Order: sequence, then C-alpha cells, then structure tokens
Amino acid sequence: MRERLSFYVKRESFLHNLNPLTKLVLALGLTLIGFLSPWYWTPLAIIFFIIAPLSFVGKVQRDFLNAAFRLILPATGFLFIMQALFQPVGKTELFSIWFLHVTRESLAYAFENATRIFAMVSSFTIFLLTTHPSELMSDLTHRGLPSQFAYVIISTIQIIPQMQAKAQTIIAAQRSRGLDTESSLFKRAGALVPLVSPLVFGSLVEVEERAIAIEARGFTSRHTKTSLREIPDSSFDKALRWILLLLVVAIIAVKIWLS
Amino acid sequence: MKLVDSIKKDFNTVTWVLIPVAIAINVVMGEIVVLLKLPIYLDSIGTVLVAAVCGPWAGALTGALSNTIWGLLIDPNALPWWPVALFIGFVAGWCAKFGLFKNWWKVVITGFLVALTAAIASTPIAVYIYGGITASGSSFITAYLLQTGQGLIPAVFSTNFLVEPVDKISTSLLAFAIIQGLSTRFLARFPRPENVEIEQGATRNQLFYAIGIVVVLVLIAAFILTRILTQ
Repeated sequence: MRERLSFYVKRESFLHNLNPLTKLVLALGLTLIGFLSPWYWTPLAIIFFIIAPLSFVGKVQRDFLNAAFRLILPATGFLFIMQALFQPVGKTELFSIWFLHVTRESLAYAFENATRIFAMVSSFTIFLLTTHPSELMSDLTHRGLPSQFAYVIISTIQIIPQMQAKAQTIIAAQRSRGLDTESSLFKRAGALVPLVSPLVFGSLVEVEERAIAIEARGFTSRHTKTSLREIPDSSFDKALRWILLLLVVAIIAVKIWLS
Repeated sequence: MKLVDSIKKDFNTVTWVLIPVAIAINVVMGEIVVLLKLPIYLDSIGTVLVAAVCGPWAGALTGALSNTIWGLLIDPNALPWWPVALFIGFVAGWCAKFGLFKNWWKVVITGFLVALTAAIASTPIAVYIYGGITASGSSFITAYLLQTGQGLIPAVFSTNFLVEPVDKISTSLLAFAIIQGLSTRFLARFPRPENVEIEQGATRNQLFYAIGIVVVLVLIAAFILTRILTQ
C-alpha cells in the first residue's frame, strides 16, 4: 500500500526548487495556451519543446515517461479512437464501419483534441512530480488560502489509498465467504451491499473521533499559525509568473484577432 | 449577509473532516462499481451524502474537489467534469434543505432533479471540450443520434438525459440508505441533521404518491426528450 496518493519524486533540481505556486501557474498556463491557441500544432509543440525538456530539467524524465506511457497515452489514445470514429464532421471519407464514417476532418479533429488533453495532463504530471503536496498547501495557506482547504486536500490524498486498501481487504474477505462478484447483473448488483456497507460505515465512524482530535489541536483557532518551513519565493519566480500570465493574455488576444 | 451565514452554517469541524472521507468514498465506490462491471457510475455517493447532512455549499465543495483530485491523481478524464460534480452537490443540498431527503420516494425525486442538473451541466463541457464525443461508453448513443441527423447539442443532451437518471437515482437511494444506517447521535454532530430526519406516515398513501410522481417524472422526461429530438 502506498502511504499517500502522490506522484512526488524527491530530487534536487532547479524545478524542485521553484516556488510551488510558480509551478502551478506554469501547468495552468500551458494548459490554457494549449486549449486557446488558434494554431493546430501548438499542443504538440508544447509537449515536445516545453514539457519534455522540463522533465529533464527536473531530473524526472524516467518517471515522466513512465506516467506518459502507462497513464496518459492510453487515456488520450482511447479518446482519439472514439472521436475519430464518432465525430460526424467532414466529407472526405477514408473508410467506414457499420454506421460510422471516418473522415480526414474527424481524424484531424480527434488528433488535435487528443494532443490538447495530452498537453494538459502531462503539464500537470510534471507539476505533481516535482512538487510535494504539503509544500504547495503550506505556500498557498501562507498566501491566504483558508487552512481548512489545505487540511481537506492533504488528508484526502492520505485517506484514498487507505480506503482502497480497506476495500481490497473487504472484497477478498467477502469473496472467501462465497460472495458472487462475477455472474449475472442482479447478483453483481446485490454484491454491492456487503461490500459497501462495511467500507462506508467503518470510515464514517472514524470521522467523529478525528473531528474531536483536530478540534483539540486548535483546528478552528483564528490565530495565525506559524510554519516550521519557510518556502522560498524568489524574484525569478515572480517574473516567471508574470510572463506566463502575459503569454496567456497574448494568446487570447491573437485568437480574438484571428477569428 | 444571509448568503454568508448560509455558507458558514454548512462548515463546522465535522464537515471539514467528513469531506475528505466523502471524496475517498466517491473514488473507491467508482472503483468497486468498475470491478463489479455494473452499468452505472455511483461515483457521487459521498458528494450527495455531504450535501444531505451538511448542506448545499459543503456538497458543492466536495463535488468540485472530488473531481479535481481524482482528475489530477488517478484518471485525467475526470478533471474537466468538476463543474458537474459541483452542481450535483449543490442541487442535492438544496433538495435536502427543502425536505426532499426524508423518505425514499422523496429521495427518488431528489435523484431525478440531480440527474437533470447533471445532464444540463455536462452538455456544454462535452460539447466544447470534447466536441460531443467523450471517452465514456454512452458516447455510442450520441454518435448514433448524430448519424441520424440530430444537432450536436440536442444529441449530447438527450444522451445525458437517458443515462443520468438511473445513475443519480440509485446514488441518492444508496446515500439515503447509508444515512438511515447511522445513529441519531452521530448525525446530530453535522450542521443539518434535520434534513434527514425520517418522516413517519401512512405508508400506503406514500406508495401511491411515489408511483404517481414517478409516472409524472417519466412523462415529463419523455415529453422533453421528444421535443428536443423532433426540432
């Protein structure tokens, strides 16, 4: 079982040392540019000329390639196939299956969309590979995000793997008692009750205890809380954030101007 | 100030602790359903649960965070749908506030309203981000409707409208069953325990109401759908 649900890889690199907010702005900016750009090849260029080099800068190229091939490529590939088959645009028919017509335009459309999603997901992957979640949260809390939000996000990524492990245990236990999880639809739907109820009730019972525990530690206190670690925010970080913001505005302007 | 008070009422410490658990319930339920190969999602049970016992604002926050975290860490295709999850939590919360979470046939109505919201909210996202064809199996129906010469938006909307009610009504009923299994003492710690107090009443009348309402809802649904498709 993984201790927490996070991609973070601990390395010493330029990208790791950037301020977390800068990296978040970078991921969001690249996503927006990929989606808003009026040029067809922009998302692909972002993937090959910005995100791939960044993975080398952050020394996470192997983890990035791993994620790209195991997670992102299957998801975007599936989207590409669905859209190429089903998108009813265009007239130049290449071939058809049953009532589905694959045209040159639908292929082009599907490709553009798949590269956009790929660019979005891979820029966030780079962000998550090089940023520790608690670092991001303490930086954002420092900038005025209510600390309750930070609590929710950090504890969610800790609870999900715990709960997945618990679900695995419950499924194994009920199967060993002869629970049918493979036959007809009704039997499978019926299997939902003995699987879900121990899981849900078990985790809800913990809620009350945890609430009392964090309340006793001053969760609702209105005083400003001090933090053990200072997160650096250099002038380079600030400059980079402004440049990205200007780029996004420029892309929107170009899109409006060209249309 | 009324709005701020209404938002503040939703969030006490127990709410903040329940939200991560609810998000984990969403994710793990989604995975169990895939494992059992059931033809529904059930991935907003946690959201509806929070919405019912804590209120609409907490429900909306749970939904939005749930899809964001799910999208960033598990399945990238979940990310663009966070506004849908937000509206699911919000509408379920208001339904519960108006007493539509107190017995099973009222919960069916909640489920139907939530499904309608989800269908409306997901249409623009499917159209503008994916061009109508998403990575889910129900896009088969959209593709078929498109091939029969429907417009893009009606095709996407009617697909959603066909798929959502079954899922959202079962989601709401399951959330209702879970709440009924919790003790009154435990529920009293949440901001809005009065939302889910069960109503005692003449059960035979209730059954007639229920059948009547379900028939009316199905008729409305069929009417809306035919209107959209014959345009």
